[in-house]
Amino acid sequence: MRSALTMLGIIIGVGSVIIMMSLGRGAQNLIIGQISSLGSNNIYIEPGSPAGSFSQQAMDQLSQKSLKYADALAIKKDSTVAQISVMVYGSGRIAYQGEDKKITFIGTDSGAMEISNLSVMDGRNIDDDDVKGMSRVVVLGYKLGKDLFGEDDPVGKNVTIKNLTLRVVGVLEEKGGQIFQTFDDYAYIPVSTVQKLMLGIDYVNAILVKAKDEKSIDQAVENIRLILRERHNIYNPEGDLSKDDFKAMSQVETADMMKQITGVLTAFLSSIAAIALIVGGIGIMNIMLVSVTERTREIGLRKAVGARNKDIMNQFLIESVTLTLFGGIIGFIGGISFSLATSVILSKVLKINWAFSIPFGAVVLAFGVATVIGLVFGIYPAKKASKLNPIEALRHE
Amino acid sequence: MIEVKDLRKEYCDGDVKTIALDGVSFNIKEGEFVAIMGPSGSGKSTLMHIIGFLDRPTSGIFRFKDQGVEELNDDQLAYIRNEKIGFIFQFFNLLPRTSVYDNVKLPLIYTKISEEEKRERILKAIESVGLSHRIKHYSNQLSGGEQQRVAIARAIVNNPAVIFADEPTGNLDSKSGQQIMEILQNLNDNGHTIILVTHELYTSEMAKRLIRIKDGKIISDELIKDRKIAKNGLIK
Repeated sequence: MRSALTMLGIIIGVGSVIIMMSLGRGAQNLIIGQISSLGSNNIYIEPGSPAGSFSQQAMDQLSQKSLKYADALAIKKDSTVAQISVMVYGSGRIAYQGEDKKITFIGTDSGAMEISNLSVMDGRNIDDDDVKGMSRVVVLGYKLGKDLFGEDDPVGKNVTIKNLTLRVVGVLEEKGGQIFQTFDDYAYIPVSTVQKLMLGIDYVNAILVKAKDEKSIDQAVENIRLILRERHNIYNPEGDLSKDDFKAMSQVETADMMKQITGVLTAFLSSIAAIALIVGGIGIMNIMLVSVTERTREIGLRKAVGARNKDIMNQFLIESVTLTLFGGIIGFIGGISFSLATSVILSKVLKINWAFSIPFGAVVLAFGVATVIGLVFGIYPAKKASKLNPIEALRHE
Repeated sequence: MIEVKDLRKEYCDGDVKTIALDGVSFNIKEGEFVAIMGPSGSGKSTLMHIIGFLDRPTSGIFRFKDQGVEELNDDQLAYIRNEKIGFIFQFFNLLPRTSVYDNVKLPLIYTKISEEEKRERILKAIESVGLSHRIKHYSNQLSGGEQQRVAIARAIVNNPAVIFADEPTGNLDSKSGQQIMEILQNLNDNGHTIILVTHELYTSEMAKRLIRIKDGKIISDELIKDRKIAKNGLIK
C-alpha cells in the first residue's frame, strides 16, 4: 500500500511526460499533414512586411492593402510558377429558402482548387470568365451544401450572400476536418465579384502560388519578391526583407516553422511534467530511508550470516529500481491509454485527422528514466543500509 | 582452531574511554563446547562479536584456523561469517512474515552453490531441529522455542565450523530452553564446535568447558566436571 502510494509519484510523472510527448507529436504530425495536404510546392504571399520591430508591425496595418489581383497575374507569367490563386476573405450570412447561416466566403479564381487540393464534386469550378465578368456565381463547400440543401442538388439554385443573389454552379468534394481552415464550410465566389459587388475593395488578402516543382520553390520565392518589388516600386537591391510590403513564404518554411513551434511547446510542457518525476523520485528516496530504518535488524542479521556490504546495497537498489520501473511501466501504460483515448475522441468525435503515435523517446523515457531515478534516489538509502554496523543493527529496536 | 592472545577492545564515547576487553587470552580446539559466562557488562558479548568476526579488536591477536583477522578485509570477514560461523541470538532475529524455509535459506543467498544443493541442505537443517512439519509456516506463527529452533537450523545450514550462541535460552521458558540445549549438545556430539555465551550457571554447566569473565578479564577457565545432559530432564 505504502509502496503503491510512493509509486504514484513516478506513475504520474512518467504518465504526464508521455501524454505531453505523444500529444505534442500528434499535434505536430497533424499540422504538418495539413500543410502538406494543401500542396507542398505552394508559396503563400501576404501583405505586410515580415516580422520586424514594433513600428513595422504598426506599418503593417497600412500596408494590408498592398497586394492586388494584378500582382498575382504578373507572378503567373514567371517561368518557375505553375499556378496562382488569390484569396479575399469576407463573412456574412448565406440564405436559401428561409435557411440562414453565418459563413466565411472567399473571393478567388480558377486556380484555387488546384492549389488547395480541392476538387469539384458536382457542377463546375469558378473559371476565368467568371472573374473577368464579375459573374454572380458561387461554389459551395461540401458541408455548407449539405447544411443548406440537405439531400437536394444545390447546383442551379440561387442563394443570397450579403444581400447579393448568387447562382450555385458547383459543390466541392469533402476535404475532411482541419484545425485552421474548414474548406467544407466555405463559399467560393469569383474574386472580382467579392471585391466590387460585396466588399468594395481593390486588394486581396493573400496570393497563393504553386511552384512548378520542388526544386524551383526557392527560385520562385526569389522571383516573386523581385516581381512584387518592381510592381510596388520598392527599391531594395540588397534584398532586405524588412523593406518589403509583403511576405512570401513557402509551405516548406511554414512546415518547418510550425514544427519548431510545436517542438518547443512539447519540450516545455514535458519538462514541466518532468518535475513530477523528480518529486516522485524524492518520494522513493523517502520510502527507502524509512525502509532502511525499519529493517535495520534485518540488515544486521543479513550481515551476520554473511552478506557483504555490496549484497546489502544491491538488495536496496534493486528494491528502489523495481519500485520506479514498475511505476514507470504503469505510467507508460496510463499515458499511452490516455493519449490513445484522446486521439480516438479527436478523430472519431471531432473528425480531426489525428494520428496516434508513440514517440520512441517516450519508451526510452518510461523505462530508462524510471530506472535512473530508482538508482539516483535509491543509492543514498542503499549506501546507508550497507554501511550499518552489524552489531548495532542487531541491537536496534 | 581459535587462538586469542592479549585481546583488547576499547570504545570511545566522546571523551569517555570504556575498556570492554582488557587482555584476554585462550585457545579453543575443534569439537569443544565452551561456555563464556559473566555478568552483564563483563565484556562477554564483545568477546563473542570479535571471535564471531562481527567486530575487530583494538589490539591483540585473534587467529582463526591459523589466519590472523587483521589480514582480512570486510568482504573476507563476510565470507567467513557465511561459511564458517553460525549465529544463534537471544531474540531469534527471524524475518517476520517469512516462511521457516526462507528464514533458513537466508545465509545460502550469499553462498554460491546450486539451487538443488541449497534445497537439500535447508530440508536437512530443518529436519535436524525437528520442524519438518512447520516448513511452510511463517516465523511469527511459531512459539518461542520453535522460533529458536528455526534460528538454529539457519545457523547450521552452511555446516559451519563454529556455532556461536548468545544467550540462546534467555528469552525462553525452561522447557523450551532445555530443548534448545539438547539440540546444541547433539550438534556438539556430531562434531560441531560450540561457543555459548550466557549468564546462567545451569545453562553453562551443559557445556564442557567454562570461561568466566568479569570486567574484561578472564577470572577462571576450567573444564566442567559434573556436566549436565539436557535430555535427561529439567535441571532447574
